[in-house]
Amino acid sequence: MSYYDIDSILTDAQKLPCTFELEVPGLGILEGNAGEDIKAGTRLDLPLWLGEMLSIGARLGTSRLVTLDMPEALSERVLNALKADPRTVDLRSLAPHFYNLSERILELFEEEEMVDILTDTFKKRAAEIADHAHNSRGAVGEGVEFLRGLDETERQLFRAAHDRAKEMRAWAGQVKRK
Amino acid sequence: MAFPLPRGITPSEIAFLAEMEMVTIMPRQRLEGLELLGGPIEPIVPPRRASLPLWLALLLKRQRRANILPPSWLHPGSLELILDIEAHHNDYRHAFSPPPPLPGQPNVRELARGHEPVARPQYTPDGERYFASPPFLPQNAAESNFDPTQVPSLPFHWVEISSMLLDAASDDLTDPDQIRRLLKDIREVRMAKMRAGVDVLDAAATGGGGVALTGVGAMELGEERGFLSGAVDNLRKIGASKEQARREQMAEQRANGGYDATQDEEEDYMEF
Amino acid sequence: MGAMPQAPSPQPTTHTHFLASASPTPHIPMDIDDILASVDRGPGASPAAAGIDHQLLTRFWVAERAVSEVLPWPAPLMERMMDRVRLQIETIEDLAASSADVDPNTTHNPNLNLRLSILQTDLARTQYLIRSILRARLAKLTKHSMHYLVHLASRTKNPLSQSQSQSQSQSQSAVPQDSVPDISAVSDFSPLSAQESTFVHAHQSLLAGHYGSAFMGAFPPQLRRLDDNAGGTSMVQGPDLKEVVFVRCLGTEVPVLVDGEEEDFGVTMRMGDVWVVRWEGGEGGVEEGEVELL
Repeated sequence: MSYYDIDSILTDAQKLPCTFELEVPGLGILEGNAGEDIKAGTRLDLPLWLGEMLSIGARLGTSRLVTLDMPEALSERVLNALKADPRTVDLRSLAPHFYNLSERILELFEEEEMVDILTDTFKKRAAEIADHAHNSRGAVGEGVEFLRGLDETERQLFRAAHDRAKEMRAWAGQVKRK
Repeated sequence: MAFPLPRGITPSEIAFLAEMEMVTIMPRQRLEGLELLGGPIEPIVPPRRASLPLWLALLLKRQRRANILPPSWLHPGSLELILDIEAHHNDYRHAFSPPPPLPGQPNVRELARGHEPVARPQYTPDGERYFASPPFLPQNAAESNFDPTQVPSLPFHWVEISSMLLDAASDDLTDPDQIRRLLKDIREVRMAKMRAGVDVLDAAATGGGGVALTGVGAMELGEERGFLSGAVDNLRKIGASKEQARREQMAEQRANGGYDATQDEEEDYMEF
Repeated sequence: MGAMPQAPSPQPTTHTHFLASASPTPHIPMDIDDILASVDRGPGASPAAAGIDHQLLTRFWVAERAVSEVLPWPAPLMERMMDRVRLQIETIEDLAASSADVDPNTTHNPNLNLRLSILQTDLARTQYLIRSILRARLAKLTKHSMHYLVHLASRTKNPLSQSQSQSQSQSQSAVPQDSVPDISAVSDFSPLSAQESTFVHAHQSLLAGHYGSAFMGAFPPQLRRLDDNAGGTSMVQGPDLKEVVFVRCLGTEVPVLVDGEEEDFGVTMRMGDVWVVRWEGGEGGVEEGEVELL
């Protein structure tokens, strides 16, 4: 996590399902019931930074305040879809910072298979991104749909590839004009 | 203070760099020797050929004070051979055709005969070792005698040099239209190889790993670097937890005295 | 460089006005003794050495532009280059003056203008390299200013100034400037030049002062620091050394290091190879001159 990095801050605010293991007096404000208590067994979506903080006890193996669950964006259903064809999944609608979120989740959970699925997903989509970025006519047809579904990391990758291809064409044009 | 340019030199800066390559000219007039910041220029006396940095050769060419003798690789015959290697040679299906060797590096044939590479350093004014590399090697000189035993190869700045010579000195080239067609074909074959390489990029995402791009051109690299580095960096972040686990496992093995670092080599070595 | 004739701009034209004043050594008119002394400096002053230095400068430019951290300042090389640039400007001025004297009807030397334009182009190209190097370094220094200041200050033996500012931060009068490390006792500025160290300290002090008056002054005193790492996230951010770079192996064989540690390495690069590797894995070879950045 980088202090001044806006994407990192936004990732920290993404919601994660949490289950309270203990009754916590006075914390009802999280549910919108200020002044009330939170009952053991309550399920709540909490921002990543808060859920992570409250779950520390659980990870140390002492008293667990909350346990964390996989966010919907990384659920079994999504992973299966990614395994089938990563190019058809709209990552942006799952989580705008899909990969950043995944990296944080993978720090919390040991999920080797998820690493493999995400690596494969990213590689397949990156190849597609490169194709679109080098197309000077811009996205057409199905491409528009795919590019709309890029998460923030992928958008930055698209931009980097696109800008360089553009500079390259500008240079080539300049040589001819001289 | 914002620096407007991205990491890595940009296409126009890569061309600026390529203009430092030495080319051969046939002067049409005399010129006194000059002490330039880029190094000394010998007196120019027609009809003796001279070796000059490309920027200076182009300056003289545009003023009709010299003709540029094309580099030996920038001929239809050489380019056809190179295209054939790029497109059909079995050893280079997933790799670029071999670049011109560095000083002390055996070429493909010598390598096959068992010659070992031995790097040959020069020394800097501070007394440190210095290994020259493009654009400061004579990779774009015109051959005075054509050597049929030499397999032609594309120099690091092939895209820039060919574009600039086709633009400013096409009358000095043999069959410039054919050269243009061949260059376009070569570029497409190589671009396809670059694209296919995304699949092995994770080899560069681990500590001590890497992906070989040997033979890549400066402009080809410039065009793809933003994409490649962005992609590898994200693959590294996705795999960070796994790398950490592997690191811990290795440290444990080492503590037990059983780990040999070289055993990783095969698995990490990949080539486009 | 007031009297210098308008030089043709080098190929990549970017904004150059800022760095015209940021060159490390200002343009001081030299007298003939100085010129002779610098010409007389031994092997470093020979024309062949000029060629090698130009190659080194070019390689350094490409390298500085390729990595996220500031590379070690090559002081002897840059001093020689600045000397040569100064001498070349004198040469061009003299030549331009002599061309103005010549009666255009009696052109004794038809090549004078050609020589002048070649010298000017060569000068402009060298100046482009130097400016681009300095600007790239300043950009990294300002982006990671606290990181480099903390790095420099960590070399001072006396940690007193540090603890002093820490205790100040508890008082009501704490200001963000308290967290700007004091580098007045530092003598080894590596990887920065002395001028860059002065610059980055002045820059960060100004910035801290501005933060203080703009918004941090309204925070509780303990939240007015710029080097806090409460919550496990440090405010001091250095360059990312795990980013990949593109390198060419120039030595016979060079291993890629894991975590930059000598005893732990992965793949081996061979002469003439081009690789994509992590910067921390290739940095050692670059320092030795056995690997170059592309």
